[in-house]
Amino acid sequence: MSLRLQAILLILLICILIGLITQVKRKKLDLKYTLSWFALIIALIILTCFPKLLIIIADFLGITTPINMIFFCGFCFSLVIIYTLTAAISKMADNIRSLTQKIALLEKGEKDHE
Amino acid sequence: MKKLVIIPAYNESECIEQTIKDIREHAQGFDYLIVNDCSTDQTREICEKNGFNLVNLPINLGIGGAVQTGYRYAWENGYDVAVQIDGDGQHDASFLQEMSEAMIRESADMLIGSRFIEKEGFQSSFLRRVGITYFTALIKLLTGTTITDPTSGLRMINRSVIKIFAKDYPKDYPEPESVVAVLRNKKQVKEIPVIMRERQGGSSSIGSIRSVYYMVKVTLAILVESLRRYK
Repeated sequence: MSLRLQAILLILLICILIGLITQVKRKKLDLKYTLSWFALIIALIILTCFPKLLIIIADFLGITTPINMIFFCGFCFSLVIIYTLTAAISKMADNIRSLTQKIALLEKGEKDHE
Repeated sequence: MKKLVIIPAYNESECIEQTIKDIREHAQGFDYLIVNDCSTDQTREICEKNGFNLVNLPINLGIGGAVQTGYRYAWENGYDVAVQIDGDGQHDASFLQEMSEAMIRESADMLIGSRFIEKEGFQSSFLRRVGITYFTALIKLLTGTTITDPTSGLRMINRSVIKIFAKDYPKDYPEPESVVAVLRNKKQVKEIPVIMRERQGGSSSIGSIRSVYYMVKVTLAILVESLRRYK
């Protein structure tokens, strides 16, 4: 990996990291759901800073170009993030359904009482 | 014995009055509850004008969520028996009395009104019958029980099954999947022949493009359901 690419990636990742932290600080994002984002960014920063580590892992996995390793890691983390989102949505949909029913039944009980 | 008819209604303004009239005339001893699934037409106004027993969902939940609201109501209000009837006039309320008698006679936990035992009345389109036959075979394979009409919406359940459904009920296209859930809970499911009419208004929740989604979703749901463990 060339020094230039390393520098560009690093700047980019730090910008994203700062952006994320700002959003959490402003309470636009829930920390609970951003943990996987932080994990992704920090892992990518480590790999960018120590390309040797990258080469070792890439070698171990049989990936010939180390830069592909970065993409591969990014992709895997993205999948994890998407999965957590899907799980969160499923849970929310369930909760919303249950609440909707509860509200409807409460409202009915109130009306019948009048 | 307290018996409840649950009528999920989404944009059924054309038929809802007739459905209730039908229940009042032909199903004495049954209370009813209309679950208005956030209809965009006059369903709510018509029900309120007539003073029908009505629950209004503030958000559209789809058929599964609407029917489940009825089961929760049945559970909270101590009903012994609950039966689902569609708001579009497909189901004939005069079968309800017969169904509740058959349920006691056969000591069933769930009683399904089947169109395909005596093959009378509206038999659905050819393609749908193919789909239904497929579900019958799949359920037979997985549970060992033959259900001739697993997609029938006309189903009567007792309090033990009301409890199950009030807690957990599929979101969309719930019929075949929930039959499997009941069977897996080691409950008795029986069927009796009924005659259904063609829908008298409104439109089916299953269009042509959706039918592929329907087949895939329900198949997967049945498979997953049969993997679940119950005590």
